[in-house]
Amino acid sequence: MFGSIPLGWLQLKAQKLRLVAAIMGITFAVILIFVQLEFRQALFVSAVRYHEAMDYDLAMLSPKTDFLVSSKQFARTRLYQVQGVSGVESATAVYMRLVSWRNPVDPSNARNILAIGFDPSEPGFERLLSAEQIEAIKIPDQVIFDRRGRDEYGPVRELLDAGQPVSAEINDRRVTIDSMYTVGTSFGLDGGVITSDLNFLRILPTRKKSAIDFGLIKLEPGQDAEEVQARIRQAIPKDVRVLTRQEFMGAEIQYWNKTTPIGYIFAFGAVMGLIVGLIIVYQILFADVQDHMREYATLKAMGYTHGYLRNVVLQQAIVLAVLGFLPGMGVAQFVFTKGADATRLPLEMSAASALSVFALTVAMCAGSGMMALRKLRAVDPAEVF
Amino acid sequence: MDSSARITLENVSYMFGKGALQKQVLFDINTQIEGGEIVILTGPSGSGKTTLLTLIGALRSAQKGSVNVLGQELLNASEKTLIKVRRQIGYIFQSHNLLDSLTIHQNVQMALQLNNVKGQDARNRITSVLQRVGLAEYEHKFPGQLSGGQKQRAGIARALVNRPQIVLADEPTASLDRKSGRDVVELIQDLAREDGSAVILVTHDNRILDVADRILHLEDGKMKSLSEVVSEGTSRMLNLLEKHDPDSANYLATFSFALARVAYVDGKVTDSERDEMRRILHEVARLETAEVEFIMEMSMMQKRAKAGLNDRVVTPALDKDRAEHFLKSLYAIAQADGITSGEEIVEIEAIATEFGLTRNEDSESAPDLKQP
Repeated sequence: MFGSIPLGWLQLKAQKLRLVAAIMGITFAVILIFVQLEFRQALFVSAVRYHEAMDYDLAMLSPKTDFLVSSKQFARTRLYQVQGVSGVESATAVYMRLVSWRNPVDPSNARNILAIGFDPSEPGFERLLSAEQIEAIKIPDQVIFDRRGRDEYGPVRELLDAGQPVSAEINDRRVTIDSMYTVGTSFGLDGGVITSDLNFLRILPTRKKSAIDFGLIKLEPGQDAEEVQARIRQAIPKDVRVLTRQEFMGAEIQYWNKTTPIGYIFAFGAVMGLIVGLIIVYQILFADVQDHMREYATLKAMGYTHGYLRNVVLQQAIVLAVLGFLPGMGVAQFVFTKGADATRLPLEMSAASALSVFALTVAMCAGSGMMALRKLRAVDPAEVF
Repeated sequence: MDSSARITLENVSYMFGKGALQKQVLFDINTQIEGGEIVILTGPSGSGKTTLLTLIGALRSAQKGSVNVLGQELLNASEKTLIKVRRQIGYIFQSHNLLDSLTIHQNVQMALQLNNVKGQDARNRITSVLQRVGLAEYEHKFPGQLSGGQKQRAGIARALVNRPQIVLADEPTASLDRKSGRDVVELIQDLAREDGSAVILVTHDNRILDVADRILHLEDGKMKSLSEVVSEGTSRMLNLLEKHDPDSANYLATFSFALARVAYVDGKVTDSERDEMRRILHEVARLETAEVEFIMEMSMMQKRAKAGLNDRVVTPALDKDRAEHFLKSLYAIAQADGITSGEEIVEIEAIATEFGLTRNEDSESAPDLKQP
């Protein structure tokens, strides 16, 4: 039944204005879907930046800790106990807290920053800090600054790049910065500093050394994380959680996705984009079928089947999907480049996400086509006479 | 029934709607149409002629009786059968129904595509059919760029490209001016003759009736004889004339009566004589062409009556049965005012003699005419 005349496309092409309107509508929907999905993705990726960057096999945390930036403390003794469990090589105590940072150039401007403290003699931060940096933070009031923090923290990056050590105030304590690490922002934090556990306690004198925020557990080579996890759970009381890397990151993502409205809002935005697209394509296809009722009835009278007409409408849907997707992807790419600069969020369009948005677009157009097809059932070949 | 017929209709009835709202639009239609035959289907709006056309065209299936098209029974036929039959029929529509977004070439190709004709073969056939309808130069134009008559020709090309055994045309001249309409109908006639297709043409347009081999007339869903239709139409028009322009009515009647007496007195008129008469009526009597034709036809009617007299053996108009009815009715008419006078009987007998209608000895033609 498939002929060589691409009737669907020719009919679309014949009404240029409507075609342009349709493509613009779909482009808009595609941009909306892309941006929402990509921001959602950025939310998740950025939320586990530190989870990714720290070196550990199992993480210990308080059961009350919802997400990284608002951690609750637990007894450091729990981490000591873990060291006795077979298969554990080391356990590093980590302190974390949002503290107040004053802009070194404009001290009246204060802003929250994540302070992380750990025992420099224990492993866990090798991917973030160089050996010299780990050595350097042993010096009192030396902190390492995240070069990808937001600009509002002051021109730290520029000063350091110029070879000038920076002196800044954190929680009313003067600290010195002479090097940087690289992580980046997330929806929960704008920047960070890493220092030793002792410096951390100097900045936050009210915190006790015995109450820590996270424990980073390294296993002996060849040990299975889940087996050791089970052994640890056996060995110590239930007032702490011990999670594998995957579980630790999963819990953080889960929090942002489910517990905060943010994940929901982005998902909702993507669905809205899909619905907007669906309605636009439906309107266009419906109007197109409506306008061609007489022609379709003529074709039916000539002996064309309902299936042929269905394929004509679906062909139009697919053509619209492709023509709307390409500019949509282009604009989204542009938005991401600009957005990544402005927010320092990880906004990058992956091939996989482009492919899945394309699949969504095709599904959207085909779905609209299916709805428009109901109109096609009303085509009565006897009406042509 | 002849099995070679392209279309055979037996007692076809059709209703619209369901239950209490059901309305019958066709009543016991019977006819048979052969290849090469051009049948014109006429009738007023709502007479069911379009419904009949859609039944023959497999666009709906009949509910009662038998519709046999190209050997397929369409009574309660499945969609599949209907589609199969549709592909063997060429449809010509009232308003061409070309696809606006396709070129003329592509429009014709849409029909060929149905029968899987592709490539060079398709191109050749399209070019040749467009040549036949005189649209060779318009092949790559869009319907919007063509005149009404050209569009209708393109529609004809599309209908005929598959060399269908049946061509159905619905008011093909309705949206055309006189000249284009005439051209289009003659084109259909020529092409159908060449291809030996059976053509059914629905029309309101009296000007094209003469291309028909046969005229079927529908009224209120029933088939009517042509004589009935012509008589009804003519008498109605004459009444109108009598009412609105009695002078002209008298003038034309007198003229035709006189013409019959003068021109047809010898009972023989040749075509050239007739043309001469037309010319004189037009130029000397200052009558319009249509009025001339009317007078000619009216006088011809009277001539035909006399022909019955001259050639009564072969004329079927007054065979034995009809002669009986004829005389019987004359006596009854004479009786209509209550008394049959002597003059009346003399006149009737004179007519009977003139037309060679002798009463049988034991005829019961007028048994109660004897005065008490």
